[in-house]
Amino acid sequence: MLSLRELQRHFAAGLLETTDELATEWIRADGISPSARLAIYRNNLHAGFLKTLTLEFPVIRRLVGEDYFRQLSLAFLARHPSRSGDLHHVGAPFSDFLSEQFTATEFLYLADVARLEWACQECLVAESSEPLDPQTLRRIPADAYGELRFTLRRASRLVHSSFPVMRIWEVNQPDAVTDEIVDLRSGPDHLLVMRSPSLELRRIQVGDFHLLTKFAEGKTLDSAIEAVLAADSQFDLGAALRRCIGLGVLAQVTPK
Amino acid sequence: MHLQGKSGIGLRAQHHAEIIARLPPVGWFEAHSENYFANGGIHREQLLRIRQHYEISLHGVGLSLGSTDPMNRDHLRALSRLVEAVEPVFVSEHLSWGSVGGTYLNDLLPLPYTDEALRHLVARVCQVQDALGREILIENISSYLRYRCHEVPEWEFLSALAHESGCALLLDVNNVYVNAMNHGFDPYSFLQGVPRRAVREIHLAGHTVTHVDGREVRIDTHGTHVADEVWRLYSAALHRFGPIPTLIEWDTDIPDLNVLEAEATRAACMLEAVHAVAA
Repeated sequence: MLSLRELQRHFAAGLLETTDELATEWIRADGISPSARLAIYRNNLHAGFLKTLTLEFPVIRRLVGEDYFRQLSLAFLARHPSRSGDLHHVGAPFSDFLSEQFTATEFLYLADVARLEWACQECLVAESSEPLDPQTLRRIPADAYGELRFTLRRASRLVHSSFPVMRIWEVNQPDAVTDEIVDLRSGPDHLLVMRSPSLELRRIQVGDFHLLTKFAEGKTLDSAIEAVLAADSQFDLGAALRRCIGLGVLAQVTPK
Repeated sequence: MHLQGKSGIGLRAQHHAEIIARLPPVGWFEAHSENYFANGGIHREQLLRIRQHYEISLHGVGLSLGSTDPMNRDHLRALSRLVEAVEPVFVSEHLSWGSVGGTYLNDLLPLPYTDEALRHLVARVCQVQDALGREILIENISSYLRYRCHEVPEWEFLSALAHESGCALLLDVNNVYVNAMNHGFDPYSFLQGVPRRAVREIHLAGHTVTHVDGREVRIDTHGTHVADEVWRLYSAALHRFGPIPTLIEWDTDIPDLNVLEAEATRAACMLEAVHAVAA
């Protein structure tokens, strides 16, 4: 007799690897073949996985169509089965998966669209937090600025793509009334996704994007500026900080 | 118990706003725990607002109690945090497993009803009850296969689990009926086999009938009205167990809230009748 652990291994392999020739050894037929019984569970697994991806990546589904999305979902499940009892996590590696699938093809932009959709999902369930009060900065002496560290609001994500992913996202919303064909060469996009309180996507300036990226990495203001100036010697920090505060993306500032 | 004699509805995100706006006369709402594990977001905020007006029970689908993997501590911690925030009237999970080797199948998979599985389940249920510092309810599931290894009837297994772990039971009357039809036993034997005092909550849901290898199989879809045969079995359950709080579950092809309210009202009328007899 199989141990409970062996039985669970056989069951999982039967569902994921579709190797059910051993099923008769541990499943009773009772009028229906053991493989057909196992197939009921396999169908449930596929349907549940597809439903979750459909909810999390509606734009990808609309771009590739229902049938191909189903195929992608099955291939994705085979490569990245769920690692959590909470199905909400399954979509995390979807963008990387698409990027492997479509390397060096004209469909590579799908990976970036998926990354944008996942950023939206993460913002939707992130903890709410208050934006930085600009008065806080005024109270800090100028010579302490270099060592400041800024944090970003939890419900915010930065997304960069060489493709015009924001326009692709916009014209593929359920309420979009347009038959616009987005020119894939009209990128790049440097985007800030934020829930505050509803979900917003906006293009921000390249310098601001790099500055916020450095803040998100936990860099001090000095080392953030250094990195941004290396890419753009004309970068105006004062103006960038004012814009970031205006966007409400900064959460806290800590000296040293 | 203050939910005695009341009927509730499974909470779905598309009904949140209407519930908050209209505060319908529903006994309580039951939330799927995993849907509210995230630290923030509109759904969690709405759940906490609904909690201000109603009792909430938390019903887990992903703890994978019967898995032979070590207990998923992250999952248990997330559940524990949610229990603290919501202060639910019941916390329930399923008599099932859903993961092995760290891979999750995200389904309620059947266990073999053996001594080995019982010992394992008793230890796991105790572990969860210790972590949460409270009793949990374990629910019987629908299943589409049985194992070759020697098994005791499901109701004997559930009764032994309740007795040995000190957990209570969530009796899903639809699942009893579905399994009775799928595996050929008398659903009334199931009801008779479950100890009277262990049942804290009852679930009712709709199922569908399909055909596999030319044989009829009932699938627990939670996507339609409660079947007439299940209402009849529910009536028998109320006579045996008393006016146990009863929840209407509808999780796929989710209809307007008023359709669920009508199902809950039907259950409430039957509860009321039993209440009157008991009094």
